[in-house]
Amino acid sequence: MISFASFPSTSEAYGRYGNTRHHPDVEDDVHMDLDEDDFEENVQRLTVPGESITSSHAFMRGHGTYVDNDEVIASVAGTVERVNKLITVRAVRSRYNPEVGDLVVGRITEVQPRRWKVDANSRQDAVLMLSSVNLPGGVQRRKLESDELQMRTFFEEGDLLVAEVQAFFSDGAMSLHTRSLRYGKLRNGQLVTVPPILIRRLKSHFVSLPCGVDLILGLNGYIWVSKHVKQSEQEGEEGFDAEAVYSNKNDDIDEATRAAISRVSNIIKILAAHFVPLTDSVLLEAYEWAVEQESSVKDLLLDDVGENLVASLGSGLRQ
Amino acid sequence: MAVALVSKSERDYIKTSLQTASPLRADGRSLLDFRTVLLETGVAPLANGSARLNIGKVAREGGGGTDVLAAVKLEVEDVESGDGVDGGRVACSVTCSPSAYSHLSSNALDELQHDLTVILQQTIAHRSLHPSNLTIIPGRKAWLLNIDAVVLADSGNVVDALFMAARAALWDTKVPRTRPVEYRAPESSRATEKETQDSMDVDQGTSGFDTRDMARDAADFELPDYWDEGEVLHGRERWPICVTLNLLPPIHLLDATLTEEASIPLRLHLMFSFPPSTPPILQAIRLSGPGELDLAYVKSCITDGEKYARELFSALESKLREEDLRRNTKARDRFSSLR
Repeated sequence: MISFASFPSTSEAYGRYGNTRHHPDVEDDVHMDLDEDDFEENVQRLTVPGESITSSHAFMRGHGTYVDNDEVIASVAGTVERVNKLITVRAVRSRYNPEVGDLVVGRITEVQPRRWKVDANSRQDAVLMLSSVNLPGGVQRRKLESDELQMRTFFEEGDLLVAEVQAFFSDGAMSLHTRSLRYGKLRNGQLVTVPPILIRRLKSHFVSLPCGVDLILGLNGYIWVSKHVKQSEQEGEEGFDAEAVYSNKNDDIDEATRAAISRVSNIIKILAAHFVPLTDSVLLEAYEWAVEQESSVKDLLLDDVGENLVASLGSGLRQ
Repeated sequence: MAVALVSKSERDYIKTSLQTASPLRADGRSLLDFRTVLLETGVAPLANGSARLNIGKVAREGGGGTDVLAAVKLEVEDVESGDGVDGGRVACSVTCSPSAYSHLSSNALDELQHDLTVILQQTIAHRSLHPSNLTIIPGRKAWLLNIDAVVLADSGNVVDALFMAARAALWDTKVPRTRPVEYRAPESSRATEKETQDSMDVDQGTSGFDTRDMARDAADFELPDYWDEGEVLHGRERWPICVTLNLLPPIHLLDATLTEEASIPLRLHLMFSFPPSTPPILQAIRLSGPGELDLAYVKSCITDGEKYARELFSALESKLREEDLRRNTKARDRFSSLR
């Protein structure tokens, strides 16, 4: 029922990496500054915080860097990017940087006059205006004053939704919209959170796995894992239930589907812990592996099972 | 404790998953499974005893899981001046890091800290658990045992984590050995008063400190040990642990995550102490959340809780002994092999 373990030892890591010694010739390479032509080769260069990138006389410092002793120094771990004379470091782990057109999954944090505040894993809460949601009863319906008074019947605090980034406000906060029948309130599943950098831009962020599980890969790192919606009940088809758009009721979900949802969630957690970028093909391959192993859902979270899972990923990773 | 935001459909999904014939939790655990608990003692070099505990850390990740740091610091208190209590006293405090509860306002955070402090204080500082070796000089000096716990991150089940961390820190605590001393003017100094003139270079004899056995009228004490040796707290096997039952009648689950806590607000905290070779003692019981329970149900919960607490206790006990071994025997072996 319960098992205890020790914290992973840090002393071994220090022993191996802490005092790396180099051959004198190599040492020069390690500490060499970037020259102008280093950027030309189009190779991605990684930095760690405190590492000197280049001279501040020749280059300007951008995000993720600072200047000390006439040197541009990285303040975050990530990849070095250069635009003309501007040096920036794009952090490996950061909050979500929104771009217009991105698909995000968010959670309502606040209801305000004519707008909702949405947590979308960004630096600021996103804004969803009442005018950028589809109201029940037809797309072309006009907003009424009564709609402003019953905003909580559409979305209330804690509700999860899928939306698209529409525009930015002057302070950098993003404005969302749900003016498509694919967007809106989320039901029938659970949320998994991963670092946003692991979500690649895909043709479609609505993924449906053959095990009866649908995924919405939000570019902000929030992933919605839910029961599959039948083709005939998807938006635009006859079976589509327009009244259920703002419903809080879940459908009946059988146990096999629930187990599949849990299994997919655990796979996503493992892949995120191993820092594997998520695409539909990777997820599919991992799921097939997990089913082949016939291990229980819980065992997936064990360390060695996770390592085997990641090791088994071949073709999907290389895409 | 602190309620995370969840939507109605998430809450419903979690509840119905739990109420099916074969209950399933979001991460695939069964109802009575704990997440992996990581424990290390002796993490704070300046404390008399300390422990760090993490429930449900994500493998290979920097963060994740409920993270609690507990440390015990002993302080000398003067009983005569009214600061201390004869026999020593125990004071607990819990601090919650604002980064663990970023969605809470500072007032709400204070309330939460206070709630957790009260739970810990009322259980651990209870007379029945009081260690007998907190006296330094009877009637004059005593140790004040401060237990400070910091919640560094919360992903559910923080009360169980606090009690386990506190128990580990108390287990690890070493009380410095003391020896009472008295200041007594040397015999010779009174005698030499009048003959100072004629014998200036007389040897003044021993110092004013006398460290022989004088427990009855001792004024002060000294520490005979050179470094931080000492003896463990008496009755350290008795320190309680807590097991939290998240109640969704007719079932209950252990070690709930934040979303599960938000979906199932009714909780029963049971603090058990397992003194060696005697039946376990229910030290405290606390019901939190809305709703009411009938007595028969609470009784059955206590019976079940004792079973879980017993398992939790023996697992923690063996881990603590393993930690003792790691820090004493193995460290010594490694040191001697290095030389």
